[in-house]
Amino acid sequence: MTVSTVDADARSGGGRLLLTLLLPIIFVNVIAFIAPVANLVAMSFREATATGSMKEGMDLATWSSLVGDAYYWSMLWRTIWIGALITLVTLVLSYPLALFVSRAEKAKALLIVLCISPLLISAVVRTYGWMVILGDQGFLPALLRSFNVTPPRLINSQLGVVIGMTEILMPYMILSLLSGFGKLDTTLEQAAETLGAGPLTVFRRIVLPLSMPGVLLGCLLCFVLAVSSFITPKMLGGGRVALLATEIYDQAIVTLNWPVAACLSVLILIVFGTALLFYGQLSKIVE
Amino acid sequence: MPKISRGFHALCIASIMTFLLAPVILVFPISFSADAYVAWPPSAWSTRWYVALLHNEEMVTAFRNSLIIAACVTAITLIVAMPAAVALTRWNFLGRDALTSLFTAPLLLPSIVLGLAILVIFAGYGLVGSWPGVIIGHLVITLPYALRVLITGLSTMPAFVEDAAGTLGADPWRVFRRITLPLMTPALVASAALAFIVSFDEVVISLFIAGTQLKLLPVSLYHYVESWTDPLVAAVSALLVLGTLGIVLIVERAIGFGKAVSK
Amino acid sequence: MYLEVESLEKRYGHFAPSVSDLSFSLGQGELLGLLGPSGCGKTTTLRMISGLVQATSGKIKVGGQDVTRLPTYRRNMGVMFQSYALFPHMTIAENVAFGLQMRKARHADIAKRVESALAMVHLSGVAERKPRELSGGQQQRVALARALVIEPDILLLDEPLSNLDAKLRDNMRGEIRDIQQRLRMTTVFVTHDQTEAMAICDRIIVMNRGKLEQIGTPHDIYENPATPMVAEFVGRINRLEGQWRSDGAIAVGDSLLQVKDGGGTGRVLIMIRPHRIDLGAWGTASAGSAEENTIAGTIRHVTYVGDTFQYEVATTGGLLQVEKATSSMADPFQPGDAVTLRWKTRDTLTFSTEIAG
Repeated sequence: MTVSTVDADARSGGGRLLLTLLLPIIFVNVIAFIAPVANLVAMSFREATATGSMKEGMDLATWSSLVGDAYYWSMLWRTIWIGALITLVTLVLSYPLALFVSRAEKAKALLIVLCISPLLISAVVRTYGWMVILGDQGFLPALLRSFNVTPPRLINSQLGVVIGMTEILMPYMILSLLSGFGKLDTTLEQAAETLGAGPLTVFRRIVLPLSMPGVLLGCLLCFVLAVSSFITPKMLGGGRVALLATEIYDQAIVTLNWPVAACLSVLILIVFGTALLFYGQLSKIVE
Repeated sequence: MPKISRGFHALCIASIMTFLLAPVILVFPISFSADAYVAWPPSAWSTRWYVALLHNEEMVTAFRNSLIIAACVTAITLIVAMPAAVALTRWNFLGRDALTSLFTAPLLLPSIVLGLAILVIFAGYGLVGSWPGVIIGHLVITLPYALRVLITGLSTMPAFVEDAAGTLGADPWRVFRRITLPLMTPALVASAALAFIVSFDEVVISLFIAGTQLKLLPVSLYHYVESWTDPLVAAVSALLVLGTLGIVLIVERAIGFGKAVSK
Repeated sequence: MYLEVESLEKRYGHFAPSVSDLSFSLGQGELLGLLGPSGCGKTTTLRMISGLVQATSGKIKVGGQDVTRLPTYRRNMGVMFQSYALFPHMTIAENVAFGLQMRKARHADIAKRVESALAMVHLSGVAERKPRELSGGQQQRVALARALVIEPDILLLDEPLSNLDAKLRDNMRGEIRDIQQRLRMTTVFVTHDQTEAMAICDRIIVMNRGKLEQIGTPHDIYENPATPMVAEFVGRINRLEGQWRSDGAIAVGDSLLQVKDGGGTGRVLIMIRPHRIDLGAWGTASAGSAEENTIAGTIRHVTYVGDTFQYEVATTGGLLQVEKATSSMADPFQPGDAVTLRWKTRDTLTFSTEIAG
């Protein structure tokens, strides 16, 4: 149900009041969002000297040094494919769980809360939990050893980053999927069954297509978050998994080369934009 | 469905659920480890890491700072987001949707980019490592959450009750105070809790703008993990999980109560 | 006149106006129905009168005073909303008291008036409950009490009965009319249900596409509809097309029809209500007289719906629906029977200018 809103000109006298109400939020957004981001983009066209100070004037020097450096190219590709891999694993694990939750009759609310509540816990805490599980003396290696299996290298490796990120991102994926399943009416599946479709066909022809919008949204969200995440790759990668986000931090805080950090930030935004474009195109096909 | 495949199905769901909750659950047993480093299974149980935590001055300070920051951020978030939400739902003006999108945009921006952007500009004004700097930095990401919850709360109010109050002679301010405000209490509680948790948990932006002077709990935890492998962090984590659970329960009661009122 | 509306118009942006050129007035104690299909502008009109929507142009006067630019909260109008819009966080008594509190009435006075308002709608026992604990019908009575307790200048009812089930609706309709008469409350009643409007209104305005089609008593609207839209909206009706003849009769197919005050040129739309047509076996009828029209036809289809038979009859002028009470027809016609249709000349409605392509 929507609330009736008194129509625009009934409140035309309230123009000044409207501005007053919006002024605080505009103020915060200008000083801590719009201005900094614009400034950051401008920063990517500056160049740092060896001492960490900035050269005068704006040019493409920092950009061209980045583009010419194979190190950054391989980092970009690694970021993208690890992001894609994490997205895929997250989807595969989340889909059956979300389907189960959306179909649950008993304790549905509790199940949803269980799936979503990890979001409310700091990424540092959850990643630390994974260090406890995956660490060399951790829970999983101990478990594997008790079955006489030699554990692979779980921490300070890409495998560890993928496992941790998957779990961190699952709530987002489940949320998106649940919103997609909302449209799924079980009578549709029953109708398909009466028309002679077996369980697999029902899934392939009815459930999957109807849940596609949720799948796409979840994938976009997870990919974008995976590409830009920093805490988990840093903690579980142990410095061995260099991604765009970790490099931005190192450049900004350790090397103090802000123009390079700014360029990499713009690069992440470009990856975002591209993902968004893909998402838009795919959504059109699915609709 | 045959029995075996149904059993297999249940097993799969249970394992995925376990996977999802494992890191949050496992910090509890580890936090009671008597060992000097994280190892499974612990050789003995003790509360030594909780005791150590109480005597760790940095953690205690960081915890206190984080609480203060989160409380300030929550208060300011409500003061700023509340009028904005009213304006964006009760006025019909050109560019309203664009403005709403703009105010939620900081959520879409990677926090690493946002953190860097704020660092670069705040550094010039000496705001890095300062209380106001950190509070403003957190506001950028708590506002979109609060705004969303408040807008939803305001636009799902029972139909026409505000109009009805108007026809009964209540001027706009009294409509707001007597009708709108009481009816959106659940949304206010929810957005306050969300703002508090988001601010308290925020690590990336804090990492950039809290500097080394202003200790914040997630940042201190992050740095501690970088250099130490003892279960101290597990003790902190366990406490944080319990704290979050407490807030969730409070909100659930507040909103459950609210639902009962508005039904 | 107590409520006067002059050339009222409401426009949203550059779209066709939601309401345009609307003028009417009503006297103290009169109950006016605003009737029309959804989207015809009747609710917008009501909201303009209450001040919840600002008129683009035109005037609204109450007791001679121009209230067009007055905000809602200064208008003193009792509004009953379709969804009732009871305040969910207040008790029934608090809901009813709200308007009096806004008027800064004295505490003891408020309690007394709330009590008598609730008594008036037979709800004295529920004062301390919350709206959600009440049934739909009870909630509606509360809404009525809340609107009336402030002693409004005008009572505005927006589809007040549409959320009730059929039985309750008839009861409530009568009750609203009773209270309105007792208080001599000037009332505007918005509805899309013509039976509802006919049953309780002193006069009815039929609206279509933001414009007034006709204003008149229920009898006027039904018997002398000003436009085909009105004729079709207030009950089932047949349409035939014919041609004016110079002698004032109308040629339809191979028959001639007389009309009460005829005359015209070119094509003409003829409308007749199905239950005003009499059916006879072929040959029993004489030719049409000045008071009566007859036309020959063949039964196509018979539908039995309990209290009536509904016939579909083919004539040279087109298909006609005829409705007959079942008790009067011991021996209904069968499909294929040749019949004579006959009806009073004054039941023949004609619309010269309204022939649709």
